[in-house]
Amino acid sequence: MTAKFYTPSAPIWCPGCGDFGVLASLKKALSELRIGSKDTVVVGGIGCSGSIHNNLECYGFHSLHGRLLPTAIGIKLANPRLTVIAAGGDGDGYAIGSGHFIHALKRNPSIVYIVMQNGTYGLTKGQPSPTAIPGYEGNVEIPFDAVLTALSIQGSSFVARGFSANQTQLTDLMKKAIMHSNSNKGFAFLEVLSPCVTYNDTYKLWREQVYDLNAERGYDPHNRASAFKRAYELVLQEKIPTGLIFEGEADSLEKNTLTSPVPIAFQDISIEANLPRYQEILNDFH
Amino acid sequence: MTTELLQEQQGLPSEVLQKNDVTIMIGGQGGDGTLTVVNLLGRAFRNIGLFIYDSRNVLSRIRGGHADGVIRASTKPIYCIADNVDVLVAFDEEAVEAGEQELSNQAIIVFDSSKGPLDPNYSSRGYTVYNAPLGNLASQHLRKNIFKNTIAFAILGRLMGLEDSLLEQVLRARYERKGKEALEANLKALSLGFEYCNSNIRASSFKIARLGSASNRILSTGNEAVAFGFLAGGGRFFVGYPITPATDIMEWLAPRLPKFGGVVKQAEDELAVINMGLGAAYAGARTMVATSGPGQSLMTEGVGHAGEAEIPIVIVQCQRVGPSTGEPTKNEQSDIYHVVFGSHGEFPRIVIAPGTASECFKMTVDALNIAEKYQLPVFILMDQALCQNSESIEPFDLSSVKIERGKLLSQEQLDSIPLYKRYELTEDGVSPRTIPSLEGGQSQVTGNEHNEFGLVSTDRTNRFRIMHKRMKKLEAAKKDLPRGVVFGPSEAKIGVIGFGSNYGPILESLEQLQEKGFKAKFYQIRTIWPLLEEDLQSFVDTVDTVFVVENNYNGQLASLIKSSVEQRDRIQSICKFDGTSFKPNEITRAVLSSVISGIGA
Repeated sequence: MTAKFYTPSAPIWCPGCGDFGVLASLKKALSELRIGSKDTVVVGGIGCSGSIHNNLECYGFHSLHGRLLPTAIGIKLANPRLTVIAAGGDGDGYAIGSGHFIHALKRNPSIVYIVMQNGTYGLTKGQPSPTAIPGYEGNVEIPFDAVLTALSIQGSSFVARGFSANQTQLTDLMKKAIMHSNSNKGFAFLEVLSPCVTYNDTYKLWREQVYDLNAERGYDPHNRASAFKRAYELVLQEKIPTGLIFEGEADSLEKNTLTSPVPIAFQDISIEANLPRYQEILNDFH
Repeated sequence: MTTELLQEQQGLPSEVLQKNDVTIMIGGQGGDGTLTVVNLLGRAFRNIGLFIYDSRNVLSRIRGGHADGVIRASTKPIYCIADNVDVLVAFDEEAVEAGEQELSNQAIIVFDSSKGPLDPNYSSRGYTVYNAPLGNLASQHLRKNIFKNTIAFAILGRLMGLEDSLLEQVLRARYERKGKEALEANLKALSLGFEYCNSNIRASSFKIARLGSASNRILSTGNEAVAFGFLAGGGRFFVGYPITPATDIMEWLAPRLPKFGGVVKQAEDELAVINMGLGAAYAGARTMVATSGPGQSLMTEGVGHAGEAEIPIVIVQCQRVGPSTGEPTKNEQSDIYHVVFGSHGEFPRIVIAPGTASECFKMTVDALNIAEKYQLPVFILMDQALCQNSESIEPFDLSSVKIERGKLLSQEQLDSIPLYKRYELTEDGVSPRTIPSLEGGQSQVTGNEHNEFGLVSTDRTNRFRIMHKRMKKLEAAKKDLPRGVVFGPSEAKIGVIGFGSNYGPILESLEQLQEKGFKAKFYQIRTIWPLLEEDLQSFVDTVDTVFVVENNYNGQLASLIKSSVEQRDRIQSICKFDGTSFKPNEITRAVLSSVISGIGA
């Protein structure tokens, strides 16, 4: 059978890039959850990671630098039946787009947000990103910890972190994140440690630092306060907590916003269908 | 003292003058409720069939500071405030000082003398002054100073020869919904006003003409008309961030759009606004955003993205005084370059500019259609006066609304396409569009330069072709763009061009010029970009001089027009940038001084 549409392009990443692991686990998760390409929208940001939508069969949207979250929220509100996945880098999400990140956590739209975190701006050849550690390329600032931030925002409903070198865990987290948002529970935030082999090769360091919280006896991912406390303790010990760190209950944005069971994208907006009600509104002008 | 004596003393003719056109200003401190009086008067005038137009002059603060409202009533349609104010109600001395330069020579001043009478110098300048202790009367009899508004309303009604029963009817219509207590207090205030008149003003100063009984006309601001046009035009996704003078659009839609299954979302900033809008539009919602200059500055990158990725979106730009924070509540038209050229790179965009509330409604529907048919950003260029002043107009014509979505593919249409390309090269540059969830329409929509599939490409041949494809949409769209309208005698050799809220002042200026023996005609430009060059050229061909009237320093519209017509030397600018709208006679004077000096030379 001939293709009905485009053939995904090959990734632009360097051999060994962590983003390959993200792409592989994302494909696997979508396939295992049997989510069709026609119902999947992947919104990419700017940077190496922000080209991931080109490498998948889907409806892809390449947004502006830092603006993938508002874009994805707009898509979800227009058609909540879609699986909407925003995927970008840590410069995109935690620097230029950080305002939207905070508000997405607070707003709780049912979309998945994957951040490929590598501590550097790889595409522009290695400047320190918001997660860069002190000393990297002259960085003097303490790194931004998005997991702690996400936990601290009341209304955040899903906070997880994976490592591209751990495919089993990552695929499982991807599936959990997609299931969280697709059951309209809200914003599924998944940070993935995804090393840049060219400008900031952290594979070895991160293998030593990652700490799977879900493997810890008695860890409760449904208790925000204890999750924050434990994650923060690990950060102070120079560990990086991974796994499903927190999942809570909060009303989703669509639940609180949408008033019709029919997605806006498919509503009858013809004048004929609405005329009597428009006439009523016209009376308000008298 | 007899009535005749009183009138004589006040310099009034003994026979009561009938006026077909009257302008009233009510001034005080923000929170004095001056706008309440404007609303009450508006209702009274409409009940006797008159056309009205009102404007509000407020400061960018919640309470306090000088604020005034101006309302004009006329037996003919009006689209601006008149040159002069006939009656001023001033709740303090500052309101008299602020309003004096607007007053006609024989103006009447009703001054709240609770803290002492008005400086007698005003009387000696020819004004008729009534020192009425409005605030004191209200406080003494009703315990609330705010009822001075209704007292003022009663006095104004008597001064203009409006019947007491009409004033009472208007008051009842407004306060009956607010409960018995409010109604009774206001009726008491009305009678206090009448009592004051009985002992102090024995006859009306003039009698306002009647135009029959209440007409079917509606009252709308430009912003309300845009908002309703969006709803009626099938708009179902609106996202905004509060900003004066655009916020009214969001406020109007917020309680109404959800009842139609739509969304009004307030975002965290204008960066989010435009990008959330683009996401919704991409997914199939008819989408509009509204902002002012500062918000557009933040949206600029997103507008370019709409151009490159070919996403239909309507952006209402409610201009105010800029740059930076400027004067949020004041009128200006200085963002013409901003909407026409703002952004890096080149892409097709359309800028249309309504001049009346009726046009705001109709052209918002047009904007939605044009955006979807040509898959590009469309600006509706407004200005503060058009946004927020009210006009009485014929009801919006709902039956004329047509929804055209262009090449938006259905599943059946997609099924018949062997290979789908989102950015397929076509004759008119417009490619068939799909929305997510349709099988076979999978594609990449992107701000990167791309090939026909939407995949990233830097191939030079591709860049050349795809750039051409996008840009030629602008040529194809021209047939759907609102054309200019010409008013005035066709043989006139004086031409005037303007847009937005200058529609009204220019039309009245033509009449003033005619009275002085000068024929002039007006080309109301309604599409600012792309310029409809042939129409402009044929207008310029028929006149000796064209005056481009606009509210900015640089003559931005004039310079755009100069770049597109052959006789650049015929174009002259009449610019105003003090934050206020043009008065008709300001345009008349500017035209005359140029024409007369031209004759002299």
